[in-house]
Amino acid sequence: MPELRKDPIIGRWVIIATERSKRPDQFGIMDPGPAEGDCPFCEGHESQTPPEILAVRPSIKKPNAPGWEVRIVPSIKPILRIEGGLDRRGKGLFDVMNGIGAHEVIIETPSHIGNMADLTPEQISKVINCCRERTIDLEKDRRFKYVLVFKNYGWAAGAGRIKHARSQIIATPVTPRRVKEELGGCQRYFEYHERCVFCDLMRQEIEMKERMVLDIDGFIAVAPFASRYPFEVWILPKEHSPDFQTIRPQMILDLSRVLKLVLLKLKKCLNDPPYNFILHTAPFRRQKAGYWKTIDADYHWHLEITPRLTRVAGFEWGTGFYICPLTPENAAKFLRETQV
Amino acid sequence: MGELRKDPIVARWVIVDTDDPKVPGDFEKEEHSWKSDNCPFCYGNESLTPPEIEAIRDPRTKPNTPGWTIRVVPNKFPALQIEGDLNRRGVGIFDMSNGIGAHEVIIETPYHDKNLPDLLDSEVENVIRMYCRRAVDLTKDNRFKYILLFKNYGPSAGASLSHPHTQLIALPMVPKNVAEEIKGSMDYFDFRERCIFCDIMHQEIQDRERLVLESEHFLVFCPFVSRFSFETWIVPKRHNPYFCHVNNEEIIDLAKVLRQTLGRIKISLSDPAYNFIIHTSPLLGDSDREGGYHWHMEIMPKLVRTAGFEWGTGFYIVSTPPELAAKFLRETKF
Repeated sequence: MPELRKDPIIGRWVIIATERSKRPDQFGIMDPGPAEGDCPFCEGHESQTPPEILAVRPSIKKPNAPGWEVRIVPSIKPILRIEGGLDRRGKGLFDVMNGIGAHEVIIETPSHIGNMADLTPEQISKVINCCRERTIDLEKDRRFKYVLVFKNYGWAAGAGRIKHARSQIIATPVTPRRVKEELGGCQRYFEYHERCVFCDLMRQEIEMKERMVLDIDGFIAVAPFASRYPFEVWILPKEHSPDFQTIRPQMILDLSRVLKLVLLKLKKCLNDPPYNFILHTAPFRRQKAGYWKTIDADYHWHLEITPRLTRVAGFEWGTGFYICPLTPENAAKFLRETQV
Repeated sequence: MGELRKDPIVARWVIVDTDDPKVPGDFEKEEHSWKSDNCPFCYGNESLTPPEIEAIRDPRTKPNTPGWTIRVVPNKFPALQIEGDLNRRGVGIFDMSNGIGAHEVIIETPYHDKNLPDLLDSEVENVIRMYCRRAVDLTKDNRFKYILLFKNYGPSAGASLSHPHTQLIALPMVPKNVAEEIKGSMDYFDFRERCIFCDIMHQEIQDRERLVLESEHFLVFCPFVSRFSFETWIVPKRHNPYFCHVNNEEIIDLAKVLRQTLGRIKISLSDPAYNFIIHTSPLLGDSDREGGYHWHMEIMPKLVRTAGFEWGTGFYIVSTPPELAAKFLRETKF
């Protein structure tokens, strides 16, 4: 009997097709094949990117030259532009504004390594620290309301042809809809229970165990109850905080270890699948923003990793339902049993 | 400079790339590697599907044998199951229920390689009539609150079989995307006492630049707030919330318009993968509020891959402005 499950945060229903459950090796994984020439993200090719915004440079301090460990550059094809005003306006019954924002690329390693799973935890911690610094810096620009940190790995996850590990940062002038939905869900839960839904969710998962993937130091990794995709994994900090950028140095080290293990397990269990990860964090709170009154108590930053094993089709687009062909309990079991 | 545009219905923002717009040849071509041997939807293979629910067939032939022109069968791998009760329940902080619903496949033609644009107008009319008949039939089951008709064409649109078919799913609840769309239209209606879709049509007819074609009963245009490049809507001119209340004259016109639109998309973008979805008011709607919703079809070619940014924000990046897409589709001869 298939099950419908409701996400307690957004109110999104998913169908868990218990009888169609697939094993990891039953998902078709397409490799589009290599098409790389001169990688603009490798050490020594710094002139092929726009000038760097930030870099971790232990010895040579000269920008846009070799000697870096992590490097952040503006996107060469930005989807939002940094210069200009928002200029909100109407057009008949439609609303329009300029596409202002920041779009940056975090080059995670000077070597030509494709998957973050293959970086050392120390290297990953430098990447996470750069994300934190960029978020703090972008918060100072009052045009921006939200910063999204995310990664597209592999063709089906939307990555380009260049196989060099990188994440992206996009600052947007409006709080995106998905983020608002999630915040709204957390706020409603808090109004009734006066507790953070993510803290409650973690307590329940730690107790029930069946969806746990990892529990180390300050973080847990779980396959969420209402997974939208097979092998979806969330990494949550045990310490309650709405804002990713409040992460302390020790937590960065812990997160790096957990993230590395989860990515490595996915890589091994699913034969190097394409995936996205998205950092979920609270929007910037300027003085005027009175709407999210309880956000400090009701929201909890976390990381969502979604392997791209199935295709989203008409049904998902039409309904907002997702059909997940594998139970999260099974996914968690596969991942727990994968030795890395 | 790119533009952010806000959908007036669900308040969704999209980014439209107006600096470096993509044209049809710029998209990556997907290989359709489809086989026709052992296709469960072809003549002679009727036993490979579950027994048919309904068919248009030569009266001298028996069910589940050749001789049909349109055939409706249960999906062999249903996302939802027809028997049983919902049985809503809680597990700790989580809510769940059984996956009750109907999942049917409407096989549009016995011909493996003939898609909607390749059929005769009269054949497409019968396909549309079958959509309506199935929707009306399932409306009678009071466990269902919403009926979704949709098509996945091509692997990257999620199709697993190439034989032309449409799917129907009856759901025990009004799904989130539909509820949001209806809420958005109702908010507009409550404030202005006009239907937002009727208003959008007026504006599109006035602006002209996003029109693809206009027939007696339908308007085809690339919406101002497209989520996908070459997204195209087919909207009936007559205000009517329910797809299955479409009248015979409209069906005859819709068949022509749908063939034309899909044919032009096929030629203009060299046979892209696409989804189409029929948007309609839920069953047993509130008759006081029928003024606010308007059924229509949305066609979404799958030309780019959805990535982390879209998933994370619900923003969509459209690389062909709808004005340009509409121009290409207006000028395409089919």
